[in-house]
Amino acid sequence: MINKRNMATYGIALVFILALNFLLPRMMPGDPLMAIYGEDALIQMTPELKAHLVERFALDEPIWSQLGAYFWGLLRGDLGHSYYYNAPVSEVILGRLPWTCLLVGSSLVLSTVLGVVLGIESGWRRGRKLDKSLLTGLMALGGFPDFFLGIVLLLVFGVTLGLLPLAGALTPYAELSGLALSLDILKHLLLPLASLTLCHIGGSYLLTRNTMITVMQEPYILTARAKGLSDSQIRYHHAGRNSMLPVFTRTGMWLGRLVTGALFVEMVFAYPGLGYLTYEALLARDYPVLQGVLLMVAVFVLVANLLVDLTYPKLDPRASYAH
Amino acid sequence: MLRIEGLNVSYDSERILNGIDLEVKAGETLAIIGESGAGKTTLGLSIMGLLNGNARGRIAFDGVDLLSLSKDEMRELRWNRIAMVFQNDEDVLNPVHTVLGQVLEPMVEHRLKNKEEAEQRASQLLSEAGLSSDKFYAYPYQLSGGEQQRALVAMAWANEPELIILDEPLSSLDAVSRLEMMELLKRMGRGRTILVVTHDITAAANLATSIATMYGGRIVERGATPAVLYNPRHPYTRALLRSYPGMATGKDLQGIKGRMTRGVSGCPFHPRCTQAIEICRREVPLLVKYRERLIACHRGGIIPALSVKGMSKSFGSVKAVDNVSLVIDGGGTLALVGQSGSGKTTLAKAITGIIKADAGDVYLEGEKVSRRGKDFYRRVQMIFQKPGEALSHRLSVLEAVKEPLDIQGIETEAKRINRVKKVLEEVELSTSADFLEEYPHHLSGGELQRVTIARALVLDPQVLIADEPTSFLDSSVQAKILKLLLNLQEQRGLSMLFITHDIAVARKISDRMAVMLGGKIIEEGQSSGILASPAHPYTQSLLKAAQGNSQLG
Repeated sequence: MINKRNMATYGIALVFILALNFLLPRMMPGDPLMAIYGEDALIQMTPELKAHLVERFALDEPIWSQLGAYFWGLLRGDLGHSYYYNAPVSEVILGRLPWTCLLVGSSLVLSTVLGVVLGIESGWRRGRKLDKSLLTGLMALGGFPDFFLGIVLLLVFGVTLGLLPLAGALTPYAELSGLALSLDILKHLLLPLASLTLCHIGGSYLLTRNTMITVMQEPYILTARAKGLSDSQIRYHHAGRNSMLPVFTRTGMWLGRLVTGALFVEMVFAYPGLGYLTYEALLARDYPVLQGVLLMVAVFVLVANLLVDLTYPKLDPRASYAH
Repeated sequence: MLRIEGLNVSYDSERILNGIDLEVKAGETLAIIGESGAGKTTLGLSIMGLLNGNARGRIAFDGVDLLSLSKDEMRELRWNRIAMVFQNDEDVLNPVHTVLGQVLEPMVEHRLKNKEEAEQRASQLLSEAGLSSDKFYAYPYQLSGGEQQRALVAMAWANEPELIILDEPLSSLDAVSRLEMMELLKRMGRGRTILVVTHDITAAANLATSIATMYGGRIVERGATPAVLYNPRHPYTRALLRSYPGMATGKDLQGIKGRMTRGVSGCPFHPRCTQAIEICRREVPLLVKYRERLIACHRGGIIPALSVKGMSKSFGSVKAVDNVSLVIDGGGTLALVGQSGSGKTTLAKAITGIIKADAGDVYLEGEKVSRRGKDFYRRVQMIFQKPGEALSHRLSVLEAVKEPLDIQGIETEAKRINRVKKVLEEVELSTSADFLEEYPHHLSGGELQRVTIARALVLDPQVLIADEPTSFLDSSVQAKILKLLLNLQEQRGLSMLFITHDIAVARKISDRMAVMLGGKIIEEGQSSGILASPAHPYTQSLLKAAQGNSQLG
């Protein structure tokens, strides 16, 4: 079970990340305001605005007061202001987050579930035809980068066949609602989701299959067979259940990369997620947004790890026993 | 209930089981004993139909050949009619499911009961198996080895199978849990047919009504439990029992020479057997009926190396030896125990022909000895009580030990000297030129006795008659001589008649014991049996005297 010491570790990591996020722009040479806001912002900056910002970040005060001001801002959910989007950073990020969650979340679930199921079936039939074809096929798919798969899918289904939309997450200005809206979202989601899923399925498949092969040698599988259980009961309840464990850890780690995981695919499909936002912010040197995304990613990684730590013992009771 | 005929099992090209014939009757508990690697577990798995290897032959269960059943028919049979308690190594139970869940699973999966009924029955079985109720929902790793074993037992009983196979059911347990587990298995096993696969003789003795010994993938002996344990007739069964540290046995532990090897032609045990002859190397012995049991041995089991029938010898009106009959097992020790004047030495001398008996015959490997010529002494040798007197003081060590070879006219001089050196090494004496030139009066008592042993062994005899060989030695030297004799027995299969007045010494060295009083054998049997419950008052008094003498234990 997760204990106080583990929690303390997470606390320390969080403080460290926040401190880094605070220190980095201030350690850069030159004007900290420029480091915080980028060159673009300085061009349109009036002396009044500058004075306002200096006061807000307590830049004329000692470093401890600056740190205090920084944390106070964070607590209020204030991640700064983006001059490129002319909106608060938190608003910009929150606007994009649902799309990323939808795309990356569903691809994560899909690739994991499919990978585990295929891995179990493949490992069960080790060396037979299905196993061999799955192994070859999924390894080949996993070898392509996700944006490449995305481009191919886009060309085939979007451009040549014209079945699915080319870009975006919604049909603009369509003012759809209800079922039509859901269908529209799904249509836009399909291609990026497919490219991400196809690309990531190989990892969880291979991991499951290999664990499955090891697990099949375990004495408890022989016990299960001796009990005259059906093949599917042995395959899923006994072998599969144990083969899932490392995949679960791996997926948990991927969860942390949810935010940026889809950067290239989002670019290819101009999907308005956090990845695409990062790309735009990079091009525009929109430092506040970049910093906000960085913070988000870091916090996500921590939370994902915490979730894995908390749920793993439910899957593998031995984990709460070991230290 | 279960009848196995000509079962052969091989993995890849390696034969694991060879022509197994075995019958288990309903309600019987059969133990299969043998060293690891003998194929015991493979036998259990082939009955369950869980082999990865290739099985040929017939496994008839209730008249149906299991090997001919389809995958689904076999699956239906498993656990419902034949269940198994696996050896509790690591992870025999699935680590991610609760104990109760694993016990109820076969009932639910075979659709015998719904979930609630199965849960009830599983709890009942677990309590019956002695698992406390707070552990029902525990995971296997949270249980001790003993508790896991209890869960495995409850699980095997879940679907009320007729036949249960227990694979090393006590191996992971400490002494106290073992006892509890044995009681439990006895209690729960009532009315069921059980096959116990084990290397643990105590488990076999306590649980089984009959025992089959397995070696190199073959059954070599099969009989009722007490008969097999108290009077093993196959050399391997005896060797296995001799190497097992039981509380009842007095004889020092002896191993079995060599190692188990696979792919041996002929009898699988012949490379390690001390009574192997030509045919053992060539042909596989069949499991045939021999008195009340089955034995697979070309020589009909342990041979009678030397037997004496109706031997008598009187000196005037004193009957020193009065109608004595004895059998010395091949590779075994018979201790002849009795006080001075009971006729032990006279008997030994009459057997070896030093004095002429009035009546009675001696048989060597079943053949009557009509005259004692050179070839008799090549096979039977004697060690005397007083080594100093037994060796001529005018012969050096080399000459004394070489003399029997000279008399027998064996080989050339150089080869004889080599044989002398070899046998001196065997009895742990020096083979340096200086030592070979020594004369008896320069040697210590222990060295002298070793020289007489070497002299007796140089002809490679089958039978050694040792008359109080250690009574003149102090106990530390005696211990070494006894160990030496036991070792020689293990390596060469030496058969011994060990004559002693000291029942404590007899206990350490003998398999069987004969007690002599007034020229007669008054009690004879397995040493452990005689020591545990002596029948004759004289034996009882001997034992009492020995216990009184040794307050140390």
